[in-house]
Amino acid sequence: MKSANRELLDRLAAEYVLGTLRYRARRRFERWLLSPQVGALVKAWEERLAGLEPQLAPVAPPAAVWHGIEEKLELRRMQRRPAARWLAIAASLAFFVMAGVLLTWQPGVVPVPTLERTAESSLQTDPQTIYWHVQVLGDNQELDLHVQNVHDLPPGKSHELWALPEGGAPVSLGLLPHTGDHHRVLNAAQRAALAGSKQIAVSLEREGGSPTGTPTEVLFAAPLSRA
Amino acid sequence: MNRIDTLPPEIELAQLLQRCAAQDSAAFRTLYDKTSPIIFARLLRLLRRRSVAEEALQDVYVRIWQRAAQYELGRGRALAWMVTIARYCAIDLMRRERMTLVSDDSLAEIADESAVEDGGLEKPNNFEHCIGLLNDNTRQCLTLAFVEGRSHDEIARLTTNPLGSVKSWIRRGLLALKECLSAERQPT
Repeated sequence: MKSANRELLDRLAAEYVLGTLRYRARRRFERWLLSPQVGALVKAWEERLAGLEPQLAPVAPPAAVWHGIEEKLELRRMQRRPAARWLAIAASLAFFVMAGVLLTWQPGVVPVPTLERTAESSLQTDPQTIYWHVQVLGDNQELDLHVQNVHDLPPGKSHELWALPEGGAPVSLGLLPHTGDHHRVLNAAQRAALAGSKQIAVSLEREGGSPTGTPTEVLFAAPLSRA
Repeated sequence: MNRIDTLPPEIELAQLLQRCAAQDSAAFRTLYDKTSPIIFARLLRLLRRRSVAEEALQDVYVRIWQRAAQYELGRGRALAWMVTIARYCAIDLMRRERMTLVSDDSLAEIADESAVEDGGLEKPNNFEHCIGLLNDNTRQCLTLAFVEGRSHDEIARLTTNPLGSVKSWIRRGLLALKECLSAERQPT
């Protein structure tokens, strides 16, 4: 990074943390947070300016606030989920026992081992708008995608997932689903790109994906936490 | 008003955040109970209107739940991480809506800065020394921006100073603060 650029970015990072950037400038700057260098500048300013935090008398919020949070996150439904989850696990176990029995009758057929989760990431913008949870399985071989909450996609548009390999161009990991849980097997190029990535990103594309092979409009990125 | 005079232990908050990352909703409720009075007070200070702060508080905790996996244990303090989410959420709201910040009558009540007797959010080493080196105008501008979320225009209006001077004081103040804090970190 050139020194003049670095100084400008540092100044913007300072005013971003201080809160004095105008709304559009703030949004534009947040796109640059994709860069680890800019992220580090912001973090340094957050630490520097933490000394300005006032020590305020705590104020208890009304109970309605918590109820609103519960509704937004559907926490009550989640609390009921364990029973359903155990039923699903029991059903899966029964299936695998049956499958195991069947496989032992066919010499030479080896069951495919289940891959372990080796990395994961949560992708989100505003809480009401978008949220995916991405799990990387095995040696960057497969992805599990869980859709938490996706709304407001413009007509004729798609969301696309990208690996951001360090020092290389973004590589598409495919379109992101808008409902349910999905499983995806990656090809060799995607595996290599994901192996060299500390972050993944989501872009807004026309329906069917990026026409150029590079992200059209990056919406946000998130770190990939390796296990 | 429910007051707590000590902050919850950081390690406990960090562990609760880890459990939230694993989608433990009971841990999230505990985290909310322990921290929401602190976060709510901060939002009230920034947004000044109780109804707006209550709405923002919901959004802040939705973000905390969804981003819990991004909190890195051992890097940064859990409460500071949560307060930063709250500040950004409030600033986004104020800048987006270009809110006219007319306070509720309760502002005097919420502006009480004396109640936390033990602990508080961690300040960088020598922060007090470095902030003390700034001139009064600069210190006032930085405080109005950071603590109250005021824009350049609002600060100029509130302090009856020209907008250009306010921008310049803030820019130079940030630079001076950075240099002073960096210098204080150098080994002697």
